[in-house]
Amino acid sequence: MRILVCVKQVPSGTQVRLDPETRTMIRDARQSVLNPFDAYAVEEAVRIKERLGGQVTVLSMGIPSTERLLRDTMARGADEGILLSDRAFAGADTLATSYTLAEGIRRLGDFSLILCGRMAVDGDTAQIGPELAEQLGIPHVTEVCRIVSLDEREAVVAREAEGVRRTLAVPLPALFTVSREINQPRLPSLAGIRRAAQGSVQVWGASELQTDPERTGLAGSPTKVVETYVPEREQECRWITGTAAEQAAEVLRVWKERKP
Amino acid sequence: MKEILDFRPDFAEYLRDESRKTGTAQSISFPETEEEVRAILRAVCGRKLPVTIQGSRTGLAGAAVPPGGHILNLSRMNRVLGMEQAGDRFLLRVQPGLILSQLRKGLEERSFSTQGWSPEERQVYTRFCRAPEQFFPTDPTETSASLGGMAACNASGARSFRYGAARNHIRGLRMVLADGDVLALSRGQFTAQGRKLRLTTLGGRRLEVLLPTYRMPETKNASGYYAADDMDAVDFLVGSDGTLGAITELTLELLPLPPVIWGVSCFFAREEQAVAFVRKAREQVAFLAALEYFDRGALDILRREKEQSTAFAGLPRLPEPEKAGACVYAEFHCEAEDEALEALYHLGRVLEEAGGSEEETWVARTPLDREQLQFFRHAVPESVNRWIDERRRTEPSLTKLAADMSVPDDCLEQVVALYREGLARYGLESAIWGHIGNNHLHVNILPRNREDYQKGKELYRQWAGQITRMGGAVSAEHGVGKLKAEYLEVMYGPAHIREMIRAKEAFDPDFLLGRGNLFPPPEVKGEQPEVKGEPLEMPGGKPEAKANAQESEANAPAACSRGDTADR
Repeated sequence: MRILVCVKQVPSGTQVRLDPETRTMIRDARQSVLNPFDAYAVEEAVRIKERLGGQVTVLSMGIPSTERLLRDTMARGADEGILLSDRAFAGADTLATSYTLAEGIRRLGDFSLILCGRMAVDGDTAQIGPELAEQLGIPHVTEVCRIVSLDEREAVVAREAEGVRRTLAVPLPALFTVSREINQPRLPSLAGIRRAAQGSVQVWGASELQTDPERTGLAGSPTKVVETYVPEREQECRWITGTAAEQAAEVLRVWKERKP
Repeated sequence: MKEILDFRPDFAEYLRDESRKTGTAQSISFPETEEEVRAILRAVCGRKLPVTIQGSRTGLAGAAVPPGGHILNLSRMNRVLGMEQAGDRFLLRVQPGLILSQLRKGLEERSFSTQGWSPEERQVYTRFCRAPEQFFPTDPTETSASLGGMAACNASGARSFRYGAARNHIRGLRMVLADGDVLALSRGQFTAQGRKLRLTTLGGRRLEVLLPTYRMPETKNASGYYAADDMDAVDFLVGSDGTLGAITELTLELLPLPPVIWGVSCFFAREEQAVAFVRKAREQVAFLAALEYFDRGALDILRREKEQSTAFAGLPRLPEPEKAGACVYAEFHCEAEDEALEALYHLGRVLEEAGGSEEETWVARTPLDREQLQFFRHAVPESVNRWIDERRRTEPSLTKLAADMSVPDDCLEQVVALYREGLARYGLESAIWGHIGNNHLHVNILPRNREDYQKGKELYRQWAGQITRMGGAVSAEHGVGKLKAEYLEVMYGPAHIREMIRAKEAFDPDFLLGRGNLFPPPEVKGEQPEVKGEPLEMPGGKPEAKANAQESEANAPAACSRGDTADR
């Protein structure tokens, strides 16, 4: 079974630190990491391969250093990595990204199964999976928490979202985004790291993919970012004193007057 | 003055620490400033009441368990007082009650409250915020430990393999003595001449301290006072187990966090393979910051906990027992990834030579993976504690018996054989883990009943003598406190214990502070501690201990091959 996994490089950590004098954000050289949700997709693909045989290809669009991440997924059991990297792809929103990824997949040939993480922790859109399935004209299921059964023609999967668990039979090829309940990703072994260092990562640009320049990068992105800022949260601590009855009355008053 | 509170039943938790021993007290105080500590000590010691100093009570040797008298609890002295720069190093001044996890969070987020700091200190803080991330290298497993407690017992942890114990990272300290006077020391200010140390307090009092004359073991060591020729006074006060004074301020030296930190868990079928691997790896492989061990007993408990407890369900899946009968965790601290990769490959070759397989390894190169391995390492002691708690339901007097002994490098194989022989001879269940890179293993005996418990205690007494003959230390990182005082006597012998007592008397002539820690008072004044549950053992002359002490009186570290260690 040929399985494709789409992954993304995201910044490590979620803290925003400010310079005490300039109040500007301090960026440090902490490395970027694999989007944590994508690790579950990679693990599930490798488990399927170990069970049914086949090959796992990992695909990403990103800057050249993303190759390091692709090799990391290979250390965890993927067989090859494909990186779509070109200045022409920069500034892409989810529409342009899913178009570019779809072009990469078309060049790679047919896959029975495409797996993605449920979303990326930097953008939080959860759009790439469904958009990519639409670009490719294949069915998709989001938030898959278990692959119940799988053969060359059909997958039966369970998805859990909004408090409802459903089991669905889906004809293949299909795309699934997976939730973190689906498995527990393994750590790479030293032997895996050696294999990954020798394995192949191909890098393709706009010329290899022959993408439409109007549909990639900033030009192909209808989403416009108007403003970005770190939301400020105010916290106020107030001591409530008095007898128990007075304190209770005060709590009730504060509760009623609270900002929505 | 901050209130001295009469002891009430709702203070009961302050009678215990993580040793799970319980003491007694008549009063307690929770000062927030050095001034308050001075007033309290003047008042309490003026009435000749013993004083037990507490941080966050995470110690395993009972040093914070009060034998009656007053409890000076420093947990509310938890502020960061300021920051200095010395060359390219940042120095952080903290109160003793600050806990390690708070310190780490502040360093990681570069976020400290600068209220009350001088303009110069605020400038240093700005430079600190712009500098590469800094860290405090001492890493005991228990991150709710207080910095004052860590200094008092000279704590260490996994990374001490590379960075040494807490002592190495303390640049200075302030200590309030029993009479309320203050010692303010920074490194280089007071050094001993030979074994004679002269100090001057802020009140102008001159102290003349005759340092103990023993030669300390050349191993990781938290057993008794640090004593060496021409030593720095700071080194004497660090590791003094709350017996000389109350630490009210510490100046911590920070280090830049290495840009590349990788961890590797290596599984072996058999213990001998793991030990052979450690010996070669520490001799040959570069950039190692930690070498930790988990034996079959520890791994089996983890396997069971992963299945039975939701808290541990998220543990990585261990290889099958026949492939994973022992595990060594190695950690690399490097400047660049290429050097880490080279070291990792070298480690892999050493591992295969020792009989392991590169397939049976977990490599953590990302923060998320490192968290997984950290969870795994911390789950070991936690799951053993849960397991003991289960047994206590049927036999409430049981506690875990944990050894904390270290030996010189050339004795690694011998000490592992010593432990195995003893455990087998007494038929005891155990889990062994710890800092194998420093030949410092925590042998945890898991008693099934009262009889096992007594056998375990007997075994530890025997080991104390045998470890001493190998040139080792009876406490490598937990401190001596009250529980290991008898082993300290085995290690150094009565003459050297008397020297320690003489040194203490220079600071605390009435023997009021930390009474029962390290050694018994010359004559126990006041009440004997009340015994609750598991008795609080005031160290005393156990015939067994005395016998060993005679043998170890002339305590030059013996070469390992000469040791007659496994024959008792």
